[in-house]
Amino acid sequence: MTAPTGSFPTTSLCPVCLRRVAARRECDGPDGYVVKTCPEHGEFRVRFWHGPPGLSGWNRPKAPGEPPPRLTESRLGCPHDCGLCPEHGQRTCTALFEVTGRCNLRCPVCFAAAGEEPGPDPSLDELAARFTSIFEVVGPVNVQLSGGEPTVRDDLPEVVAACRRAGFSFVQVNTNGLRLADDPTLAARLADAGLASVFLQFDGDDDACRTLRGAPLLDKKLKAIDACVATGIGVVLVPTVAPGVNDGQLGDLVRLARAKAPGVRGVHFQPVSSFGRFPWQSGDGARVTLPDLMRGLEEQTGGMIRAGHFHPPGCEHSLCSFSQPYLLTGEDGLSPAAATGKTCCSPAPIAADEGARRAKSFVARQWAAPTFPPESSGPADDFDRFLADAATSKRLTISAMAFQDAWTLDLERVRGCCIHVATPDNRLVPFCLYNLTAADGRTLHRGRQP
Amino acid sequence: MAESLVYLPQSGDWICCSCGDPLEPRDASVTYLEGGFTIQVLTCPRCNMALLPEYVAMGKMLEVEQLLEDK
Repeated sequence: MTAPTGSFPTTSLCPVCLRRVAARRECDGPDGYVVKTCPEHGEFRVRFWHGPPGLSGWNRPKAPGEPPPRLTESRLGCPHDCGLCPEHGQRTCTALFEVTGRCNLRCPVCFAAAGEEPGPDPSLDELAARFTSIFEVVGPVNVQLSGGEPTVRDDLPEVVAACRRAGFSFVQVNTNGLRLADDPTLAARLADAGLASVFLQFDGDDDACRTLRGAPLLDKKLKAIDACVATGIGVVLVPTVAPGVNDGQLGDLVRLARAKAPGVRGVHFQPVSSFGRFPWQSGDGARVTLPDLMRGLEEQTGGMIRAGHFHPPGCEHSLCSFSQPYLLTGEDGLSPAAATGKTCCSPAPIAADEGARRAKSFVARQWAAPTFPPESSGPADDFDRFLADAATSKRLTISAMAFQDAWTLDLERVRGCCIHVATPDNRLVPFCLYNLTAADGRTLHRGRQP
Repeated sequence: MAESLVYLPQSGDWICCSCGDPLEPRDASVTYLEGGFTIQVLTCPRCNMALLPEYVAMGKMLEVEQLLEDK
């Protein structure tokens, strides 16, 4: 092993006892590790970044902007005071509300450990009050309705409508798609209620579904896509990528999305994390990291997608995601629609609040149903032609987000998080912290009161 | 290539606030990523600063920039 080529101090938790421990983010060639020692449970050294593009060049610094709203005080220190507490550095770009703990699947892999002793669903009135309270604090951010499986609620269209009434304009449902496939009226009722988009669990072929979801579901997933597209709901395919399960299907997933574009608006890869329910022993094992995905996409699309197309995010922490919008070209081609290779070389810092604004508006524009260029009424000028060529109906985004679990947790990263779970008591908790579980399954935040 | 588009203010006589010279209609390049086109706008003949009317800045140009914006 080569000597570390760089080290950045941070803080983490012991994955066994969840006590806070000093940690460092270590560069070893292109790889990145979180290294930490618990006085009781010893050293943990976990790779969270693997191979090129290397860790050291992947950075998009954020300058402090207008600080996020403070809902709690600093008492015990990060990550125990969520939130958001005064230590947090980024505003909310997406607020996630869990509208049920129930689920119609029992996936071997589930970050929410859904379906295990679910409590009663919050009532429509309770949810409406929570939407209003959070809107008063964070304003018109994007909303994801999640769970559990949101579509098991028969009143989900009313929940969507209540969310819209509270003032949120972009509302998306996280779903496994089964009810959308089986109930021919559900997509239309959700669209009528103001739903913009679904975040559709979509892991690849039936073998991948069997491993990750416990059943062959591809046919249902395809029906769910068709139902949403037919009613004007944007569809984002969300594969949970697990090593040796579906990390060889990245190219197939992109080709399927391309074939179903522009109704399918994007593919958002999520490498599997060791929190909630997972079938392996510990979070110490092999992981699919963001660079693995970037290179895999390049290899499996014959270079149509290239690792060099992607850039770090302007909103959340640089190490948490990558993205690139693509223009649909020819019969089945994709070419990058935004600047490439220019953002990670000595980038100018972006103000954190401006990054959050851009990410919010990008998602709302790109993940909702496509907009088509207006029929020409009079002479089109070059601006019009440019706008027509770049219309969202001609685009597909490819993106990924890597969550942190108890092994890879890096609290400097967490404090840059913009995806926040709105808790039943109207706090906002960064997504990874809300879902984080210790090696024995104990939660850090989920189901707990401060 | 289409002939250049003309985007002039709807009224007024305009003078460059730095140079004091009256502005004149001239061609200017609009560049987005690798592509671009030419428009005609009021420009200072001395310092080349161009006046972009609000209806363009807040209209088509804003639309184009929003489409090019990424996360």
